Amino acid sequence: MNPTATIALIQDTFREAMARKIFWGLFGLSTLMIVFFLFIMKIDVVEGAVATMSLFGRETGHSTDVNRMMTGVYGGIATFLYTWGMALAVFASAGLIPSVLEPGRIELILSKPVSRIHIMLGRYAGNVLVVAANTTYLVLGVWLILSAKTGIWRPEFLWSILATVFIFAVLLAVVVLIGVLWESTALATMVTVGLMILSPILAQTSTMMKLLSSESYRNAWRFLYNVLPKIYGIGTMTLDVVRQKPVTDFFPIWSSAIFGAAVLSAAIYVFVRRDF
Amino acid sequence: MTDEAIVASQLTKVYRSRWSGREVRAVDGLSLSVRRGSIFGLLGPNGAGKTTFVKMLLSAVHPTAGTAAIFGRDAAKPESRRPIGYLPENHRFPTYFTGAGMLDFYAALSGMDLSARKRRIPELLALVGLGDWGQVRIGKYSKGMLQRVGLAQALIHEPQMLILDEPTDGVDPVGRRQIRDILHGLQAKGVTIFINSHLLAEVETFCEEVAILSKGKLAVQGRVHDLTTGKGYKLTAASVPERLRDELQSTAASVAARNGFIDFQFASREQTNAALDRLRAEQCEIEAITPTTSTLEDVFVAAVTPQQGSAK
Repeated sequence: MNPTATIALIQDTFREAMARKIFWGLFGLSTLMIVFFLFIMKIDVVEGAVATMSLFGRETGHSTDVNRMMTGVYGGIATFLYTWGMALAVFASAGLIPSVLEPGRIELILSKPVSRIHIMLGRYAGNVLVVAANTTYLVLGVWLILSAKTGIWRPEFLWSILATVFIFAVLLAVVVLIGVLWESTALATMVTVGLMILSPILAQTSTMMKLLSSESYRNAWRFLYNVLPKIYGIGTMTLDVVRQKPVTDFFPIWSSAIFGAAVLSAAIYVFVRRDF
Repeated sequence: MTDEAIVASQLTKVYRSRWSGREVRAVDGLSLSVRRGSIFGLLGPNGAGKTTFVKMLLSAVHPTAGTAAIFGRDAAKPESRRPIGYLPENHRFPTYFTGAGMLDFYAALSGMDLSARKRRIPELLALVGLGDWGQVRIGKYSKGMLQRVGLAQALIHEPQMLILDEPTDGVDPVGRRQIRDILHGLQAKGVTIFINSHLLAEVETFCEEVAILSKGKLAVQGRVHDLTTGKGYKLTAASVPERLRDELQSTAASVAARNGFIDFQFASREQTNAALDRLRAEQCEIEAITPTTSTLEDVFVAAVTPQQGSAK
């Protein structure tokens, strides 16, 4: 694999994300959030307790244990970032794969001495890195500000970077597959949003096993739960990590990774065989 | 080192409709070769399979059957494309690039390192007359400028072969001349130039060899000079008695009077010599004997018309 070509493909994705205002949109929203914590949320800590906390200049609480409060704050922010950050990233970048397949553009890229697998992986990596850069900026910024204001440094919060980027990478594989099959940004967005909505429903497996009447329905439910990415499950795991609770079940991670790898492999297979 | 830049053997592409199962043979058992260092023109009416053929050479389209080799290497392998510079017909360069940025991207994909790219990009922008436009976004370029920056893109990695699809499309006459001069300069350096064009007059003056495709098959291939000569001879004479004129009219393809001269068109050398003997025997004055040529357009129409007719 030629590293010069790989870097060029990644840089091109960044350039396009910037030109389409995707990068700057995400960057702007992240900056707004950082500014919110920097200037609007004021916390006075006195001997390990929050003396006063104010939002938009209004006091919201008194004499709370700062450790407990920070657990709640970090947990809330991590959940917010994970769900909205992921959704926003998918919406924003769903068009980056079909755009490279446009007639007149793809032929020129294919005419270069770069394999199709390399092209697709370079584009995929570029897309993941665009989101990783923004997520890192946001989470790191919020973490630094909150930690500096409260004096409580919780590095566990930084796991939400990995969780968000990981689940985005899994969902991006779906976007890539739909992109190479139908070149439709709208369909790619619909399917990934569908997976996001479906995930918390499928996660209610124990309840559903009692409610479903037939064994075949139960098997179908188990199949979907086991195969599809565990967006909800990974979100819960991230929350546990941030709240400093032990994580014992890693099934949501590795099963989602297998799903992502399988879907990305299928996308590459289709891309390699397609005529342009 | 092979002498052939391109060798296609029984190359076939069949498109099948997913729903009806109907087949279209875009390219049908096409075999042709292009000599290293030559200027080769690929011609054909719309839908003849020219673009599909080019795309198979570049592996953008997978052949249904047959093989293609670029400088002896299997065209399906990415490495075979390293010596190729390509300019597609309906190219769509991303408008967020500047001219220099676009060249840098495609040069990097071709495997050029940063220092080589930094050296080569200003050289090429100057060569195609866009020296002052390198930092301007491509969205602001005119069609002719896009074509020229596209040519620069194809040349960026100093390829051994250029595959150009309608290279002068949208370019003004001065720009066309400039592009032709660049291409002639490259040919002098041994670069093979493969042109896919509808502009027959341009191909005729520029290319040494052509292939004409019709309905996915090779209708004609040969040197432009060979294809356009040998149609016959025009014999121009004066003081030709009417009786002799009528006599020669029976063997001539055509007879035309012009400013006191009569032009006889004969299909063969034998007919021309026989007519010449008769004219000299009658003390006629011979003004000129000229071998007549076909234009490439004549060759093109003759190559594609019967098949078009039979398809109806």
